Amino acid sequence: MNAPCPEHPLEALLAGELPFDEAERVQHHVDSCAACTQSMAWLKLERGWMAQRARRAPHRRALDFSALEARLASAQALRARTQGRWSHQGKMALGAIAALLFIVFNVTQQLPPTPAEDAWGLEAWSVPAGETCVDPTREAVAAIEARVGACLVATPVVLSIAR
Amino acid sequence: MSRWDVAFLSAVKMAMVSVIPSDTDRESTLLRRARAGDPAAFRTLFERHAPAVWRFLRDLLRDEAAADEATQETFVRAHGRLSALRDGDRLGAWLLGIARNVYLETRRRRGMTHVDVDDEAHEGQVEAVLPTPSPEDLLLDRELEGLLAEALGALREERRAALLLRIDHGLPYEEIASVMGWSLPKVKNEIHRARLQLRERLADHVGGHS
Repeated sequence: MNAPCPEHPLEALLAGELPFDEAERVQHHVDSCAACTQSMAWLKLERGWMAQRARRAPHRRALDFSALEARLASAQALRARTQGRWSHQGKMALGAIAALLFIVFNVTQQLPPTPAEDAWGLEAWSVPAGETCVDPTREAVAAIEARVGACLVATPVVLSIAR
Repeated sequence: MSRWDVAFLSAVKMAMVSVIPSDTDRESTLLRRARAGDPAAFRTLFERHAPAVWRFLRDLLRDEAAADEATQETFVRAHGRLSALRDGDRLGAWLLGIARNVYLETRRRRGMTHVDVDDEAHEGQVEAVLPTPSPEDLLLDRELEGLLAEALGALREERRAALLLRIDHGLPYEEIASVMGWSLPKVKNEIHRARLQLRERLADHVGGHS
């Protein structure tokens, strides 16, 4: 049994979508094929019915532009509000990013001191704890004073001993 | 030219004059103006395409009031997305694509379901028993119009949408594939099956059987 002829070339012929040579070839086939003649009759019927149906479609209020205008206006207002909100949120995000950058900048400025700075650090002014605070006896203080050749009047331990 | 051809061509011509835009160049100019924010241009485009969009939605939703709402929603969305439409795109197909999305959302929201009446075995018999329509059958009276609406409504939704995009809105198969998100062979197959089902349902009313 032969496969039935496809209908879309017939439809394209009816719709004027085929180039001239192709249209002639399909028309020639239709003239000699009973099944395609019948298909063409149905295709014409469908197109004719649809065309009449389209003309008869009732007029609806929704098809008046004035009915759409109010909806368009509210949709535009909504879009504008949404854009405004995004713009506001964008500004807030920019502020947050700026604050974050400020913090990062400050943290990176507090890097460990370089060797040159280290010479002026607190360690340079501290006195070894063992020599000033560990031995509170008067003899020990005197020994230290004799060694450095100076009176340690600022030493709290020495002051308390003097009283 | 036969009487049959004359009747057919005059019916199609009358519909084309009222439904299909006659000047695509003018439409692209209107589209450019509408994109630039000209409300008069958008209004003209709306008035030109809204009836077809409404009809498509009415046929999908099978509810005129719901089609009203869905048509307006389609154009509100289209208005907001005009800048996304490229110059080469056909506005009609683009609008019908948006309309179909609006339909799908409406259906989901309303929890609409459709009883699938496809019957593959039955489709196989259709080609053998179909009568050949006569020129007199071209006249779509009210009764036949009701039967046609019923026959269309009995098709599975996707099949119905594809068929209508072709036979009512005249979209090429490639554009239907784009609107439906299908391959080209699937579009051809679905439309062919839809046609067979439609003809089967209407066969008793054509070819002098009525």
